[in-house]
Amino acid sequence: MSEKPSVLVIGGGIAGIQASLDLAGRGFQVYLLEETPTIGGRMAQLDKTFPTMDCSICILAPKMMECFRHPNIKLLTYSELKEVKGGVGDFQVKILRKPRYVNETKCTGCAVCAEHCPVEVPNDFDMNLGMRKAIYMPMPQAVPRCMTVDKENCIECKLCTKMCQAGAVDFTQQPQDVDLNVGAIIIATGFDQYDPSEIVEYGYKKNKNVLTALEFERWVCASGPVGGHLLRPGDGGIPKRIAFIQCVGSRGRKFGAPFCSSVCCMYATKEALIIREHAPGVQVYIFYNELRAFGKGFHEFVTRAKEEYGVNYIRSRPGEIREESTKSLSIWYDDTLTREIKSLGNVDLVVLCSALVPRTGNKKLAEIMGIELDDCGFFKVTHPFLAPVDTPVQGIYVCGYCQSPKDIPDSVAQASAAAARAAEALAMIKEQKVGGS
Amino acid sequence: MSEYNPRIVGFLCNWCGYAGADLAGTSRLSYPTNIRIIRVMCSGRVEPAFILNAFENGADGVLVAGCHPGDCHYRSGNQHAEKRIEKTKKLLDLLGIGSDRLRLEWISAAEAEKFASVIKDFTEKLRSKGPSPICKPTPVALVQHNGTESVHDVLKRTNALYCQECGKCSSSCPITRLDPAYSPRIAVEKALMGLEDAVLTDKGLWSCLTCYLCRQRCPLDIEYDELIRTCRAKATANGIVGNCSHEGVLYSLSRLMANSETKQNRLGWIPQEAEIAKTGDILYYVGCLPYFNVYFDDIGVKHVEIAQSMLKILNAAGIKPVVLDNEKCCGHDLSFSGDLAGFEKLAKMNISDIEKSRASTVVTTCPECYRTLKLGYEEYLGKQKFEVLHASEFIADLINNGKIKFAGKIARKVSYQDPCRLGRHMGVYDHPRKVITSIPGVELIEMERNRQNAICCGVSAWMGCGRHSKQMQMERLAEAKSTNADLLVTACPKCQIHFNCALSEKLPVERKDVAIETMDLSVLVAKAMNLMPNSMEMNKK
Repeated sequence: MSEKPSVLVIGGGIAGIQASLDLAGRGFQVYLLEETPTIGGRMAQLDKTFPTMDCSICILAPKMMECFRHPNIKLLTYSELKEVKGGVGDFQVKILRKPRYVNETKCTGCAVCAEHCPVEVPNDFDMNLGMRKAIYMPMPQAVPRCMTVDKENCIECKLCTKMCQAGAVDFTQQPQDVDLNVGAIIIATGFDQYDPSEIVEYGYKKNKNVLTALEFERWVCASGPVGGHLLRPGDGGIPKRIAFIQCVGSRGRKFGAPFCSSVCCMYATKEALIIREHAPGVQVYIFYNELRAFGKGFHEFVTRAKEEYGVNYIRSRPGEIREESTKSLSIWYDDTLTREIKSLGNVDLVVLCSALVPRTGNKKLAEIMGIELDDCGFFKVTHPFLAPVDTPVQGIYVCGYCQSPKDIPDSVAQASAAAARAAEALAMIKEQKVGGS
Repeated sequence: MSEYNPRIVGFLCNWCGYAGADLAGTSRLSYPTNIRIIRVMCSGRVEPAFILNAFENGADGVLVAGCHPGDCHYRSGNQHAEKRIEKTKKLLDLLGIGSDRLRLEWISAAEAEKFASVIKDFTEKLRSKGPSPICKPTPVALVQHNGTESVHDVLKRTNALYCQECGKCSSSCPITRLDPAYSPRIAVEKALMGLEDAVLTDKGLWSCLTCYLCRQRCPLDIEYDELIRTCRAKATANGIVGNCSHEGVLYSLSRLMANSETKQNRLGWIPQEAEIAKTGDILYYVGCLPYFNVYFDDIGVKHVEIAQSMLKILNAAGIKPVVLDNEKCCGHDLSFSGDLAGFEKLAKMNISDIEKSRASTVVTTCPECYRTLKLGYEEYLGKQKFEVLHASEFIADLINNGKIKFAGKIARKVSYQDPCRLGRHMGVYDHPRKVITSIPGVELIEMERNRQNAICCGVSAWMGCGRHSKQMQMERLAEAKSTNADLLVTACPKCQIHFNCALSEKLPVERKDVAIETMDLSVLVAKAMNLMPNSMEMNKK
């Protein structure tokens, strides 16, 4: 073990960021591992947060920068976990740093290279709704502020090398193995959004005007593919009527996930408010099953949406979405409170609040670390009430959505809890060592 | 042993036949007492279903007596009767009961003597012929899932206890959209509330098409079709009768097959040049096509063409299939209308005959047979030794192996109707499309609602065919027509019946918006291979 006790945090989303900052603040050396080129995670993709309607990136970006600047945190972005051996106090970890083909210390993030890059591909940060270049930064607030070459799509014209004034582009970079020795590990891998295209009656991927909620977040976000204008994705027209459908793939037994994603009722309300603020003339409908507004200020938030903003809530899971001859959509539903079978016509945009599911990569991570997943793919903890962040392996902790469905405040709180548990374990080890010597 | 005394059921028209019988009585003419008379207002009222029902219930002969041609009280009722009797005779011949057990006579109100002599003659003829081969249905060991299971058990088995009352089923159901009185959600809700009587006596129980659309879409995987099927069996066991179409004649046919000891005469459709075998590896299960051919001859669908096409395709591919000479109905309609005992009988007979033929693969042209043989028999009687393939799967395979040679180009725009049993029930979507698109010149244009989202042809398992069925058919035909296709291909003989039937009637919309030629997939393939007569417009080389 090195001089300074250290911790590996897997996942650079808000939970991983919070855990890292907590531990670094207590004097631990933190390695923050992230598989994409930037930290920030899902929260960075969101436009606003409920119920306060804070701009998501505005409250996240300072924390991202803090991670970057903190002397006790080392960012390992664009990296993968390969191997974990040993036990608490002495984990031997192998990490693969994928080559960015850009020197992190030289790159200033001016993005001149991207201006000249001739290859355009869908931007996964924008849920593939917008385009980026083969040399890119996922978002303007990326941390580290450094370009990355997407080797899969790069045609190696080397125009970027020529244009870069800092001489940062370096096609000779090779994958790099990093061996670390850490005392504890915190897992915070977050979630993915379930792809609802197998729910064929909703026409996702067949109809351009049907989006998932995360796609919609990017679509209306000021830093998103259309600069935050509220447009109809199919033809760029101005929408008059937008509908949200809850529980798409969640709480089911056939498709998607059996559990409630716990945030959709609230983020749909938030997105409805965003719409009404952007364009007060747009009618918004939310098709829900049970309205789960259980947190502090949540119910009041929904009440505000109904009363102040005139958002329409309809208790129903619609049967199908059909395309009208006018190219707008009609939603067939059973209003379960009045028992009427109706169709809502002239809908320009349908947002599917698709299930949020644990990431598929969790399986591999669990194997590497010798821990288990539950039936749904969440990391198992030793006790759901009394040890909610402890995995069965001492020294490995989990927090955030990858432990169970939760929102941002709960993820942050749990991240602090996981950090505290990790610190506690390392303190015990230190004490034993001191006592023993 | 007492002497055999034939039982005759007589349907006598109020104005002539019945009056003639009355006169025979008042004139004290003597005639055998073997006849039981049912007075009807007109001989034209006597449906084939009534006659088959009489045989089912133990009649050895049926007499229908009406007014002489030209004398009908309602002008043409007796002409209708004549057509119907002719049709019914053909059915009786097919069934092996024999058309000579049914007699149509014109007896006027004055012809008491004729009445007496007809009865005398018919009784003698039947006496010499012997008793009807139909046995009274005997109770069989009820197959599982029937009778003893409580509604709560059924709800559990079909996942209905998971219902979230979200309304996805009801807003998908094509019937609920037209008739909000029935809704899968409300049916489940009532069952969940423990209102067993309300569920079983609900008319909606018989409205459901079991088309699987709600089940396909239900996020909780509730097996509505199975729930409905079981509730229908429970209702039937409680003496509740559903509203069957065609007065239940098609159920009668199934039950007569289940309860008959004689051999059917069902191979008449086989063309002389075609080859079949008694035993072999591959069996072509024809289903009710020969019966449909008779019963539905007036709506322009030649059902034996489907069987002939399939047989010729098999022959052309070098296969000499087994065709059973006493094949029974698969039991689909009985199982979906609540008669599980009848279903079980038919299933056991078919399984035994198929096993005797030593066939390892059974090919069907009907998706209902396909579902029943493949899934239904397994659900109720365990896994079977033979594999079951639908014609579309089998033909697609022959095409893949280069065993099918198309004769030339068929320049037609084709749309395809996914039959609910083939598509949603069994998941076969690609094979029929593969077959259609393999035919040179054919362009496949999909309807807006296709595959999992396809809409049913309006009737299934011969359960009630009313206003809503017709509305669905009009909507679906209009959808097919709007694709600009000129041929609607389906892989289900029943879809074809229902669409053609809808088009044969007075239409509530402009004919040009809905009228489209329909064709079975096998027939299309056989025509493309030049195995079946091909109209000029088909072949544009």
